[in-house]
Amino acid sequence: MSHYSNEQLAGLIREDSVHKKVYTDPDIFDLEMERIWNRSWIYVGHDSQVQQPGDYFATSVGRQPVVMTRHKDSRVHVLFNRCSHKGAQVIGDSRGNAQQLRCSYHGYVFDTDGTLLHIPREEGYNGAGFGKGNPESNMQQVPRVDSYHGLVFASLAPEGPDLKTWLSGAAVSIDNLVERSPEGRIEIAGGCFRYLHDSNWKMFVENLNDAMHPMVVHQSSSGTAKRVFDERLKEGDPVPFELEMLAPFTNNYDFFEKMGLTAWNYGHSVTGGKFSIHSAYSPIPGYMDALTDKYGEQKAREILAVNRHNTVVYPSFTLKGAITSIRVVKPVAVDRTVIESWVFRQVGAPEELFQRSITYCNLINSHANLVGPDDYEAYHRLQSGLQIQDGNEWVSQHRFLGKEEVEEDGTKHSAGTSDMVFRHQFQTWKDYMASAG
Amino acid sequence: MQTGINSEQDSTPVQTGQPLNPPDPGTLEQFLFHEARLLDEQRWEEWNDLYLEDAEYWIPATPGQPDPKNHISLIYETGLLRAVRVKRYKHPNAFSLQPGPRSVHLVSNVILDNFDETTGECLVTSRFIMLQYRREKQDVFAGSYTHRLVVSGDEIRIAAKRVDLLNCDAPLENILIYL
Repeated sequence: MSHYSNEQLAGLIREDSVHKKVYTDPDIFDLEMERIWNRSWIYVGHDSQVQQPGDYFATSVGRQPVVMTRHKDSRVHVLFNRCSHKGAQVIGDSRGNAQQLRCSYHGYVFDTDGTLLHIPREEGYNGAGFGKGNPESNMQQVPRVDSYHGLVFASLAPEGPDLKTWLSGAAVSIDNLVERSPEGRIEIAGGCFRYLHDSNWKMFVENLNDAMHPMVVHQSSSGTAKRVFDERLKEGDPVPFELEMLAPFTNNYDFFEKMGLTAWNYGHSVTGGKFSIHSAYSPIPGYMDALTDKYGEQKAREILAVNRHNTVVYPSFTLKGAITSIRVVKPVAVDRTVIESWVFRQVGAPEELFQRSITYCNLINSHANLVGPDDYEAYHRLQSGLQIQDGNEWVSQHRFLGKEEVEEDGTKHSAGTSDMVFRHQFQTWKDYMASAG
Repeated sequence: MQTGINSEQDSTPVQTGQPLNPPDPGTLEQFLFHEARLLDEQRWEEWNDLYLEDAEYWIPATPGQPDPKNHISLIYETGLLRAVRVKRYKHPNAFSLQPGPRSVHLVSNVILDNFDETTGECLVTSRFIMLQYRREKQDVFAGSYTHRLVVSGDEIRIAAKRVDLLNCDAPLENILIYL
């Protein structure tokens, strides 16, 4: 039981700042897992990862190990990865195909929807209250599962807003991601980075909409890339993807300010919209034609005109439409977070689009690239700086305070460099954290 | 073993008409040791000069990864990106390099797997351990190297290097120095 009362938790969030304990206190982290990650809709995976009946993908929801399965009726299920007998994790690897799920300890066998199918020497349970037909003897399904364009979400809370309502304005980013496929279909492909950070999960989530950092943090990579490419490329050489990707990180403050920020209910937000650091990429040959064939020219232009930069679907993942990729947040401890990067193939689009996304992820999201380690370093210095007892217990979120426009439904708009999104995320944080226990 | 290293590009064929003799195994070993030393001594430009301009430096993100174009990689670079990385090592505002990382590269089990008598090209595999130290933290990386080397007279150049990191698909923190 937490030693924080709801009032104390609410008191950690001010209109213009948050108490540093929200990043550093292990008790707060445990409460976040219970009250945010076990209640909100959390991204699990994409249904293309379990295409055939029996396909499974083992992952986590918050700190809970789960397995996403494709059942023989082709429905996708999300099960807690725990044998109903002694509690062993049933699936021991990360992916595969199995017509039945068999526990490796005593050989109890479950169907891919969790139903208990077989117990060795079953007669030992006669009249004992455990066994087939008893729902408690099944592998348990998570309380709620839903999907949006194949993105599968789970909620460990039996009650709460439905997925579509909860996604609110962030749904448009997912719509656009899928519409960018000439067949309206996306699939996960090309592997996954798992980048371990020694910092709190919220630092990554905030950074994705922090437009005041790129020109400082990424000066050494983006700035150097511009210089090297200038020196080496000759007049008339095609501009490589790599330069188009790295150069805009050091655009000026004006660019990032004008990019704009929007925030919606339940903590979601986006930078950009009409333009972003991804909007000046060269067109991919054949791509516009493929979209026009499917949607007509006007609609195709509208699809590509959506230039959302980073969409944050709070708290569990972030999305880039133009780069057709997502980053999934896996909190491990108060100062330990794994960020997974996944790429989508836009079915029906030229392979070059997918390969551009692969190149982007190599350049920006890998543990060995030139950009991510400088973000890592910023989070690391935050995590250690916040331990300092200099009398200042509060983390500032004052930039453009009170300058946002608020629509009737709660949607907020501000300058791209505003702290509005951080304030917004922590109001959502407070709604979750100070309302239970 | 599938190396994924494309052997059709950018080799420098030496057409003498006479079949070439494979280099002495000790020569190849010394070359790999030399490459490792340049990295540990942070002689980045000299290290980069060992590589042909279009040479691929590749660390796959998945064991047995067949190709670098349709799958993410920890690093996939040719000359242009290597030049960016090498130059960035000296950038005053590369914060993840402050304090700077240090390394020890150990190379062992060197085997000449294939020698092309016409072009003088060698396919050399070896095993490595790399210790990376930065700010009170030491990381261990290990795995295998596959070098495609072009030998011409006394000169050896790298046409491709593939690094199969043992735990390439694990959650990892930063890799700040070339493996």
